[in-house]
Amino acid sequence: MLIVSCLTCLGAEPGLRPFYNRMKSLRKYLAILTWCAAAGLALAADSGGPDSPAIRKELVQVILGIDGDRQTLLNDLSETGSKLVGDTLLAWTRGSIYLYPSPDGTKQPVLLEDAQDATGKARAIRLSDGEFLKDAAGKELRFGDNDLIAADTDMRLRSAIRQTVDTLALASPDKDARFSAVTKLGNSQKSMYVPILQARLTKETDSTVKRAILEGIASLQIGDRDPQVQIAAVGHLAALHSIGNLETLQKLAASPKTDPQLIKAANAAVGSIQSHIWWVNFFGTIFRGISLGSILLVVALGLAITFGLMGVINMAHGEMIAIGAYTSYVVQNLFGTGFAFAINLPFSFMGKQLGFSLSLPGLNATGWFYQSYFLFVLPLSFLAAALAGLVLERAVIQFLYRRPLESLLATWGVSLVMQQLFRMVFGANNVQVNSPTWLLGHCTLNDVSFGYNRLFVIGFAIMIVLGTWLLLAKTPLGLLIRAVMQNRSMASCMGVRTTRVNMLTFAFGSGLAGLAGAFLSQIGNVGPSLGQSYIVDSFMTVVVGGVGSIIGTVYSALGIGTADQVLQQLLGSPVLGKIIVLTCIILFLQWKPGGLFAIRGRSLD
Amino acid sequence: MHKPTNYELWFVAVAALFLLFILPGLNAFTAPGSVLHVSDFTINLYGKYLCYGIVAISVDLLWGYTGLLSLGQCLFFALGGYMMGMYLMRMIGDLGQYHQPIPDFLVFLGWSKLPAFWQPFSSFKFATMMAILLPAVVALGFGFLAFRSRIKGVYFSILTQALTYAGCLLFFRNDMLMGGNNGFTDFKFIAGHDLRLPATQRELYICSVLLLLATYGLCKWLTNSKFGKVQCAIRDSENRVLFSGYATAHFKLFVFVLAAIIAGLAGALYVPQVGIINPSEMATDKSLEAIVWVSVGGRGTLIGPVIGAFAVNAMKSWATRAYPDLWLMFLGLTFILVTLFMPKGIVGLPAQIGALRRRFQQPKTDASEVANSKRVEEQIKPNLK
Amino acid sequence: MNKYLHSLMGLTAGLSLTSSVLADDTVKVGVLHSLSGTMAISETSLRDVLLYAFDEINTAGGIKVGDKSYKIEPVVVDGASNWPLFAEKAKQLLEEDKVAVTFGCWTSVSRKSVLPVYEKDNGLLFYPVQYEGEELSKNIFYTAEAVNQQATPAVDYLLAQGKKKFYLIGTDYVYPQTTDLILYKYLLLHGITIENIGGGLRKDADGKVISAGKYVPFGHTDFQQIVAEIKQFAASGDACVINTINGDSNVPFFKEIVAAGLTPSDCPVVSFSLAEDELRSMPTKDMVGELGCWTYFMSLTTPENTAFMKSWFDWLGTQTHPGVIKEKRAVDSPMVLSYDGVYLWKQAVEKAGSFDVDKVRAALETGTDSFAGPGGKITMQANHHATKNVYIGETKANGQFKIVQTFDQVYGEPFMLKGLDAKLGAK
Repeated sequence: MLIVSCLTCLGAEPGLRPFYNRMKSLRKYLAILTWCAAAGLALAADSGGPDSPAIRKELVQVILGIDGDRQTLLNDLSETGSKLVGDTLLAWTRGSIYLYPSPDGTKQPVLLEDAQDATGKARAIRLSDGEFLKDAAGKELRFGDNDLIAADTDMRLRSAIRQTVDTLALASPDKDARFSAVTKLGNSQKSMYVPILQARLTKETDSTVKRAILEGIASLQIGDRDPQVQIAAVGHLAALHSIGNLETLQKLAASPKTDPQLIKAANAAVGSIQSHIWWVNFFGTIFRGISLGSILLVVALGLAITFGLMGVINMAHGEMIAIGAYTSYVVQNLFGTGFAFAINLPFSFMGKQLGFSLSLPGLNATGWFYQSYFLFVLPLSFLAAALAGLVLERAVIQFLYRRPLESLLATWGVSLVMQQLFRMVFGANNVQVNSPTWLLGHCTLNDVSFGYNRLFVIGFAIMIVLGTWLLLAKTPLGLLIRAVMQNRSMASCMGVRTTRVNMLTFAFGSGLAGLAGAFLSQIGNVGPSLGQSYIVDSFMTVVVGGVGSIIGTVYSALGIGTADQVLQQLLGSPVLGKIIVLTCIILFLQWKPGGLFAIRGRSLD
Repeated sequence: MHKPTNYELWFVAVAALFLLFILPGLNAFTAPGSVLHVSDFTINLYGKYLCYGIVAISVDLLWGYTGLLSLGQCLFFALGGYMMGMYLMRMIGDLGQYHQPIPDFLVFLGWSKLPAFWQPFSSFKFATMMAILLPAVVALGFGFLAFRSRIKGVYFSILTQALTYAGCLLFFRNDMLMGGNNGFTDFKFIAGHDLRLPATQRELYICSVLLLLATYGLCKWLTNSKFGKVQCAIRDSENRVLFSGYATAHFKLFVFVLAAIIAGLAGALYVPQVGIINPSEMATDKSLEAIVWVSVGGRGTLIGPVIGAFAVNAMKSWATRAYPDLWLMFLGLTFILVTLFMPKGIVGLPAQIGALRRRFQQPKTDASEVANSKRVEEQIKPNLK
Repeated sequence: MNKYLHSLMGLTAGLSLTSSVLADDTVKVGVLHSLSGTMAISETSLRDVLLYAFDEINTAGGIKVGDKSYKIEPVVVDGASNWPLFAEKAKQLLEEDKVAVTFGCWTSVSRKSVLPVYEKDNGLLFYPVQYEGEELSKNIFYTAEAVNQQATPAVDYLLAQGKKKFYLIGTDYVYPQTTDLILYKYLLLHGITIENIGGGLRKDADGKVISAGKYVPFGHTDFQQIVAEIKQFAASGDACVINTINGDSNVPFFKEIVAAGLTPSDCPVVSFSLAEDELRSMPTKDMVGELGCWTYFMSLTTPENTAFMKSWFDWLGTQTHPGVIKEKRAVDSPMVLSYDGVYLWKQAVEKAGSFDVDKVRAALETGTDSFAGPGGKITMQANHHATKNVYIGETKANGQFKIVQTFDQVYGEPFMLKGLDAKLGAK
C-alpha cells in the first residue's frame, strides 16, 4: 500500500515527467559482457565494411601506441561512429584484448573467441584483419586466459576510452547506452560537446534520453561566457531538478565574479533542487525503512513461531539462519564446480588421525540454468534448517518445555557448537555467494532508486507472512498448532499428539529462519558468526510486536526498520540512530509491557 | 548427623583458608621452581576467576533467588570496571606514548586538556565511589521503569539485553571520550602501587578474595533473613506475594540494585588485574557466560555460582591452550549436557548421584540418607518458572 | 564431606597447566591469534601461515645459534576475540611456556591489551596487520603497514588519476578514525577543499576538526542510507570512496554499492581492510576495478613470490592439522608480513647468537636486518617498523589484484599526525 501511495505522491508533483526506468550498473554491465562476447564473433565476421581496414589499423595503433598519440587517435576514432570501435575499446578496458607476440617479433592485438574447448582454450581473432590466428602450418592457434598478456590500460586511459565510446554510443540503438553516454558527456564540462548533444536532441525519440540531453546541455552551458546563456541554462537545470549540478550552482551563486542576475537565478535553482533532494530522501528513506523492516521481519518470523508461540528462547536461531545461508553457498557450488570439505580432528585412533571428508561433484551449469540456482536454494534452505530444527527439538528442546529460561542456556550451547562446526566445515572465513543477475541492479523512479534485491525482499516478506498466516489459520495443522500452543495439556487431553505438533512447529519455525538465511546471503556476508548479528534484533522485534502475535511482529519489524532509517537520515550517524531506537524500545515496553499486540489470557502463573 | 548447611560452611571455610592464605603464601614465600611454588600467573588468573565468582553470585541473587534472568549484569560489571579504569588512566600520568598529562587516546583525538567529567577521577576514593554509584543509579533508573510496569520473565531478559546492547554501542563510540573500541589499557599504578609488581597483583588478589567472602556473607545473611523468604516467594509465584500485600516491585528493585553494585565492584577489581577494559565486556554473551557459570555450578545456592565460575573458566583457560580449535565445542556441549542432565549443577551432583545409587540399591534403602538428600533438595529449589 | 569432592575436582582442573619437558634443541615460539569468535574470520589464516613458516624453517634445519641448531616448537593459543583473554594468554605464553618470541594479534585492541604484558615480562611480539600508528613499544616489532605505507600512497594515486572528491567511510574504532583524520589533513594539504571531503566532520568546542568521515558500528549490515548519500555525493563526477570498514561489514557494503549501480568507473572505492583473503567472500565479479593498497599482492610475479606460493600450496595440500582448511585458500599481505616476521626474527637470532630478547632486539634495531620476502625486500628499521614496497592494485573478477602502481621501499613512519599538523599550520 505504502509504495502505491508513494508513487501517487510522486505523480502529483509539479514538473511531472513520465517515469523512466534506467537499468544501469550491473544488469547493464552484464548485458555489455554478453554484448562483448557477441562482438568477438562480430569482429571475425564483420570485415567487409568499406572503412574497416583503416579503422582496424587505427585501433591496433591505439592499443599498441604510447599515451600522447592515443588521445588523438581516440578522438579520430570517436568520429567514425563504427560499432566495431566501440566493441573493441570496451573489450580493451575489460582486459579482454591480448597481445600475441608473433614470430616476427612484433606484438599483435587479439581477442579470444568466446567458445572454449575442453581445456579452457579458445581461438584468437586478430584485430588487424579479423582472421583467426594460425601457426606456420596453417593450424588455428588456441590460448587459455593466462597464456597471453592482456593489453594494459590505466584509469586515465580508460576514462579517455570511455569518452570515445560514449560519443560513439550517442548513436547506439540501445536507449540505456545512449542515456549513460549523454550523462557522461554532460558531466565532462567540455563545451565542445554542446553541438554534438544538440544535434542528437533533434533526432532523439526517447523522452528519458531527451531529458538527459537537456540536462547535459544545460550543465555544459553553465560554463559559457555569456551570462544570458548561463541564466537560461540555470533555469533549465532548476526545472530538471538536476542533483548532479547542485554543487556547481552553489559555487556559481557564491562566486563574487558572477553577474547579479545570474546569482539570483542560481539561488532559485539551488532552492528548487534542494527541495527536490529533500523529497527524494524522504521517499528513499521510507523505501529503505520498509526494506530494512522486511529483512527484520524475515529474520524474526521464525523466532515469532519458536519463541512467540512455543515459548522456547532459541539462542541458536541465528545459527538456523546461518544454515540457510550456507545452504545457498553449497547449492551455488553444486551448480558450479562442486563442493568438498575435510575435517581433521586432533585425535588419533590406532595410529590414524580421525576425521572425515566429503566431496560432491558439481553440475558445471552455465547461463540461465546457473542463474536459477537461487530458486532451488529457497526450498532447500527451508528443508535444511527445518531438519536441523527437528533434530534440535528432539535432542534438546523437548526436555525443556517446562523450563523456558533454561532453554536459553542449552540453545546457547548449541549455538556455540554450531558456530565452531561451521568453522570446521566451511572455514573461519566468510564464503562467497554470488547473487543471480536478476537480483542485481536497480531501477530509478524520479531519482529515488529501488534495488531489485530490496524489492525482492519486500515481496519475499509478504509471501512468507502470507504463507505462515495461511498455514496457521487455514490448515488442520495450524489448528493443532494453535491449540497446543494455547494449552498444551488440554490439547493433549483432547487427543492431539502434542509431541508431534511441537516437533513440526519447531521445525517450521527453524525452516523460516533458514529461508531468511537464504535471503541474507544475497545482501550480506555468509560466515560462521552470521547469525549473531541478527539475534538481538530478532528478539527485539518479536518482543515489541507482542510475544505470540504474528501480526504484531509484522508491525514492529516495519516500525523498527523505518524508525532506524529515519533516525539515520536525521542524525547522519548509524550508531546514534541505533542507540536511540534501542532506548525507544525500552521506553515503549514500559508503556506497553506486553508489546504491540499483547495476548490477553486469564491464566496467571 | 550434621545439618546439611554445615557442609557448605565447612567447604567455604576450607576454600577461604586455601584462597586467602595458602595460595598467596605459596606465591610469596616459596622460591620459583620449587614444587610448592604458585606462580604469579596463577595468582593473577585466580584473581580473575574470583571476580567472575563475585559476578556469578550477583547473577544468582537475581536469577536463582528472585527469578529475574538479567542479561545486563555484564553492563554493570563493565561500568564498575570503566570507573576504575578512568582512575587508572589518570594514574599513568605522563608515562604514556605522548608523554602528556592526559590519557593517550585523548591526545589522539585532539584534546589538549582534560574534559571536565574526567577531572575528579584522579581520586581513588571518587573512582571507587563511582564504581558503586554509577551501576546503582543505572540499575535504579532501569529497574524502576521495568518493575513499575511489571515487566517480567522473558520480557525482562530481552529488555536487559537491549539495555546492554545500547550501552555497548554507546561505549564503542570514540566521541564518548571513553577510549572507544580500544578502551583503557597500559595501566601503571593503583593507589601508589606499581601494578606491574607481583606484590601489587597479590594484594589485588587478596582484595578479590575478601570481596568475594564479604559478598558471600552478605548474600547468605540476606537470603536467610525474612527478606530472602520474600525473594524466593517472588520467584516461585509473584502474584501470590503481590496479593498478600507485598510491594514486590520494591523488593525486586532492591535486589536488582544490590546485584548491580556487587557486579560493579567486581568489575572495579577485575580491571586492574586483567589490565584492559573495553566495550566488548558489555556484549550480551558475557552476561550469558555468567549465567552459564551459575547454571553449571548450581542455581539457588551461594557456593554453586562461585564453583561454576571457577570450573568453567578453568576449563576455558586450559582448553584454549590445549585444543584451540575445538574448545568451543566442548564448552557448548557442556552447557547442553549440564542443562539437560544436571539441572542442579555441580552442587546438586552428589544428591543426583545419591539418588541414582539408591535406585540401583533399592532393597537396602538407608532411611537417614533419603531424609538427608530430601533436605538438600528442599534447600536447592529447582522448580523455577 | 565427600559430597563436595566432585566440586573440588572441577576447581583444581584448572591448576594442572601443561608443562612439557623440552628436548635439548627446540625453541618454543608463541602463536597468539583468535581462532574462535568474531575475529577468527581473519586471524585463522595467520595461524596457518605461521605453522607453515615454522615447518619450512624446521625442514631447512632449524635456527642456528652458535654451533647448535634449534627446531621451532609452536605453542598455539586461542585468544577467542576476547581481549582480557588475550592478555591472559600472553602472560601464559611468557610466564608459563617461556616462549622466545610471539607472533600474533590482529586488532589494535588486542595489541593494546597484550602490550603491557610484553613490556612487563620483556617479551617479543611481531605484529603483522596494517594499523593506525601512533605507537612504539620496545617489545613490539611492527611488520605491519603504517598509514604512510597504505593510506597516503593510495590517495596519491587517486589524486594523480584526477579525483577531486573523497568520501570517507569506516567502522567506528581507532584505526579508521585515525587514518581518516590523517587523510583529511593530507587532502587539505593537497588542495582538496573541505566541501569535497564527504562523510561529515565533527569539531570540538574550539572548532577544531577532531574526526572526519562517516562511521558505522562493528558488524553493521545496513548500508542503504549511506550508499544513497554516496550516490548523491558522486553525482557531480570525479569522486571516490576511501573505505576503512572492517571485516564482515564490507560484504553488505559492496553488495549495496553494486545494487545501487555505483561502478568503479564512476566512483572507485579504495579499501584498506580488503585483501585477497577477504575478497574470497566478496562479490568480486561485480567489483572489477575497485582499488586496494597493500605491501603484497598474490599476483606479484617475482621469483620469490612464485616459489613461496608453490611451497605454501604444497604444504596446505599435505596438512592434517585440525582447523586448517584446504579449499579455496588465498595469500594476502597480513599473512606474508607474518611470514616475513618469522624470518626477520630468525635472522636476528642467528646474528645475535642467542634467543635472549635484549640481544635479538639489538640485532633487529640495527636497521640492517632485511629479508627478500614474497612481497619484495623488507627491512626492519630502528624504530621497529619496516621498510617495504607498496603496491596499488585493481580488483579483478577472480578476486586477485592487478598491480597498477608500485612505490619502492617506503619507509614506515608510525607518527604522522604531528607532522601533518605542522605542515598545515605553516600553510
